[in-house]
Amino acid sequence: MPMKLTKLTFASLTILFLVAPLIAILPLAFTSSVILTYPIPSYSLRWFEELFTADAWRRAIINSLIIGTGTTLLATVLGTAASLGLRNRLVFFRGSIRTLFLLPMVVPAVVLGVGLQVLLARFGLINSYAGVIIAHTVVAVPFVVVSVTGALAGIDERVELAAQSLGASPTTVFRRVTLPLAMPGVLSGAVLAFATSLDEVVLTLFVAGPNQRTLARQMFSSIRENISPAIAAAAFLFIAATILVGLAVVVSRSMLAKRR
Amino acid sequence: MADFIRFDSITKFYGQLCVVENLDLSIGKGEFVSLLGPSGSGKTTLLMMLAGFEQATSGSIVLDGTAINDVPTHKRDMGVVFQSYALFPHMSVGENIAFPLQMRGIGKAEIAKRVARALDMVQLSALSDRRPSQLSGGQQQRVALARALVFEPRVVLMDEPLGALDKQLREQMQLDIRDLHRRLGLTIVFVTHDQSEALTMSDRVAVFNKGKIEQIGTPRQVYDEPSTRFVAEFIGETNLVEGVVEAVQGQEATVRLPSGAHIVSALSGTVASGQSVYLSIRPERVDLTETRGEARNCLETEVTDSVYQGDHLRVQLQNATHPLIAKLGRRSREFPPGTKVYAAFSASDCRVIAP
Amino acid sequence: MKKSRTGRSLLLMAPLLLFLVGFFVWPLSTMMSESVSDTAVLRLLPRSSEVLRDWDRKSGPTMAMQTALMEDLKAVNDDQALGDMVRRLNSARSGFRTLMSKTTTALADTANPPADLVSIDKRWEKPDFWLAIADALSPLTDRNLLAAVDLGRNADGAIQALPADQSVNRVILVRTFWIAALVTFACACIGFPYAMIAASLTGWKRDLMLAAVLLPLWTSLLVRTAAWFILLQEKGLINDFLQWLRLIDGPLPLIFNRTGVIIAMTHVLLPFMVLPIYSVLITIPKNLMPAAASLGAHPLRAFLRVLLPLSLRGVASGGLLVFISAIGYYITPALIGGPGDQMISSIIAFYATGSANWGMAGALGVVLLAATLVLYSVYARLSAEEPGRR
Repeated sequence: MPMKLTKLTFASLTILFLVAPLIAILPLAFTSSVILTYPIPSYSLRWFEELFTADAWRRAIINSLIIGTGTTLLATVLGTAASLGLRNRLVFFRGSIRTLFLLPMVVPAVVLGVGLQVLLARFGLINSYAGVIIAHTVVAVPFVVVSVTGALAGIDERVELAAQSLGASPTTVFRRVTLPLAMPGVLSGAVLAFATSLDEVVLTLFVAGPNQRTLARQMFSSIRENISPAIAAAAFLFIAATILVGLAVVVSRSMLAKRR
Repeated sequence: MADFIRFDSITKFYGQLCVVENLDLSIGKGEFVSLLGPSGSGKTTLLMMLAGFEQATSGSIVLDGTAINDVPTHKRDMGVVFQSYALFPHMSVGENIAFPLQMRGIGKAEIAKRVARALDMVQLSALSDRRPSQLSGGQQQRVALARALVFEPRVVLMDEPLGALDKQLREQMQLDIRDLHRRLGLTIVFVTHDQSEALTMSDRVAVFNKGKIEQIGTPRQVYDEPSTRFVAEFIGETNLVEGVVEAVQGQEATVRLPSGAHIVSALSGTVASGQSVYLSIRPERVDLTETRGEARNCLETEVTDSVYQGDHLRVQLQNATHPLIAKLGRRSREFPPGTKVYAAFSASDCRVIAP
Repeated sequence: MKKSRTGRSLLLMAPLLLFLVGFFVWPLSTMMSESVSDTAVLRLLPRSSEVLRDWDRKSGPTMAMQTALMEDLKAVNDDQALGDMVRRLNSARSGFRTLMSKTTTALADTANPPADLVSIDKRWEKPDFWLAIADALSPLTDRNLLAAVDLGRNADGAIQALPADQSVNRVILVRTFWIAALVTFACACIGFPYAMIAASLTGWKRDLMLAAVLLPLWTSLLVRTAAWFILLQEKGLINDFLQWLRLIDGPLPLIFNRTGVIIAMTHVLLPFMVLPIYSVLITIPKNLMPAAASLGAHPLRAFLRVLLPLSLRGVASGGLLVFISAIGYYITPALIGGPGDQMISSIIAFYATGSANWGMAGALGVVLLAATLVLYSVYARLSAEEPGRR
């Protein structure tokens, strides 16, 4: 079976190509050396310590959390409300409005960054937390819209009609039926919005001042200027968080599936 | 019977498309009325207007003496059962059934009691904590029924509720629903496109076609005395034969067929001599004899095909000008193709229908 | 009742609509207008603008022109705006920088006021300096947009290619599209067979293959770039490994060059190729290939005639998705590439943050935006046609 062997080799090599870089960076987080190379002389936690004590990194982590939380709240509220509005088929230009909502995902970040820098400077929002949160929300909101409209499309409209016929007023229908059924979509939209904000560099480069340096921005300049194993430590945290969130999603899905 | 529900010249347009046209219908308290018709005939739209999901373009709907056109759905107090059941996927069976009671601000203890009673009624007491997705189609259907009945609505509306079930389960549910109707004295409006379902369950059947009611009456009336060609063809199978009225005598008419033969037939509407009409003859009312017998109507035919179908023998015949179908009891003897036979039927088993 | 429902829907969408109009549409249109606006000179020279309108563009400066310009220059009190104007003029006619600084110094000398401009510097006699000012006074310009594709206007105003030493943008545009095409090609070569193998498997094997695609997709872009930085560097794992195998003697140059950029971008964008192809492939009934075989088609022929045409839509949308993302890439080329691998985004960022040349940043941005939107509309049409999709 040479065909089968070829397939196996190809698939294994591609999986290696996809996953190996992410695995290779992990042990370097625990190096005691100041350079990012193998072999690792001895293991230590000094770079995690650096991450949480060095002023630049600590500030960056705090900034990322502040900006990420702000972005998540703003994007989730705006995106969820808009998705609910988009359900109505009678709205004119529904398709165009939907496209507009999704377009920030497509437009190159640098182009948007240039425009936002000029505009936010006019409003005096440049180099402020509000400015960065606004910029991140622009690119995070499409993820919320996609996720929530997906969840809403999965709701059988007859379920809502049934609730009405059973005596629920429109607000009660929304509170007791529509919102609970859309909740998984809202939550995954929120997670995606947070992740987008956490990972966003380009817009941050354009609109954030030194006081709003985020973790991603700090990693960017650290790779560019003085690469150190602190990068690997930060990457370790990122990957661990990704896997944790991924597992949480899988587990909660299977629990939901069992409950249903 | 006093009018409990009354539709007064209801018209409904979707854009340019007229789906219900100037329709009047009265339904009595405690009555089981089926709205029967093909898809797109306006029957579901009428139900949706009654439930308040759709607004009539013109006309009024009166419930128990009050116009309800402007009453929102959630204040109409009608239990609706959907074809897709429309159970709340995020609530347990018990919570689904409790929902309408919660909406009415009923106390917890009372809710528990009534939910238990409703579950008992549909024999699902053991499944109260399950999610709808863990139930079979038939069980989901019964939960939907319990949910629509538990708050003792003034009217129960059912939109093809049995359409998604397999044949055996469907027939069982038909009898169960009919039984509930009788026991609880419910007023039920039931939408279906399945004529046998309508005949089985209803007190009266309203036959819909193109946004209008073609005929309304008891199952026996719409089957035995179809007043239009559409009703005759839509309900059950029938032989339609063209002819011209020669004479009218009271409740009977004599019709001459193109072959020259004369048929005496019962009459439900009014026709005049010389008018072109159709005759509707139910295949199971046709007898085949080898000699011209006593029957008042007798046509000379030849067998072209005969098919054994288990509970009956289906014989295709060819008259001089018309094909004809006869369904014979299973004890009937075989009729090989080519056999010359007489097709005989009484005047009361035949209907004159004005085109 | 219907009306109130529509009203409610609009009310629900209004906040996001306003937000995006304010912080998405407006910035983009600001950027576009920056690319055609040219007020650096007009803003500071209102009097000259009036007077120059009557000038014949050939003869030397009249006294009125000189006086107006002197008045204008004396009125300037914003050094940054002055700098902007001088930069703008210098780019049209070199020599303006020294001429202007000399002139403004002379004008500032209130004890000894100069009679006219020519007395400050003889160069003010030449009409071409005045011509540069006259041309720069129009509030709208296409020079940035033209320059973005290495075109310019000659003295007569006709459009012509810029001289080779100024033709940097076209090189970068071509490079951007070339890198994006290479990455798309690499992704297709790896992604199509990978998606096919994944779609043909079941159970944990398929899950593993999909997880291997999703894990990098969910991982931070910076983490992935950092990982490649570590792997590709001179003493990185790849060079170590190859040397250990004795395949090479010295370390290969893998980072700060084209190879590194392509490898890292392929890794980052591969999931966008695999997932659309996979989602198309799993909708293709499994019995089609056996059916083709039963009709006498050789497996290769069956693949070419049946599977490939059916999955082409997935390849097309995956390819467009990868290409669209690739042409806008900034971070990976900035960190892994060398100076010769910088793409259009880097140049835009350079103009915007490095030299505050908003006009050029905007013009290149318009080119990139237009390319992206055109490709995206093709992609949107492709995925809208996808059967069985809402």
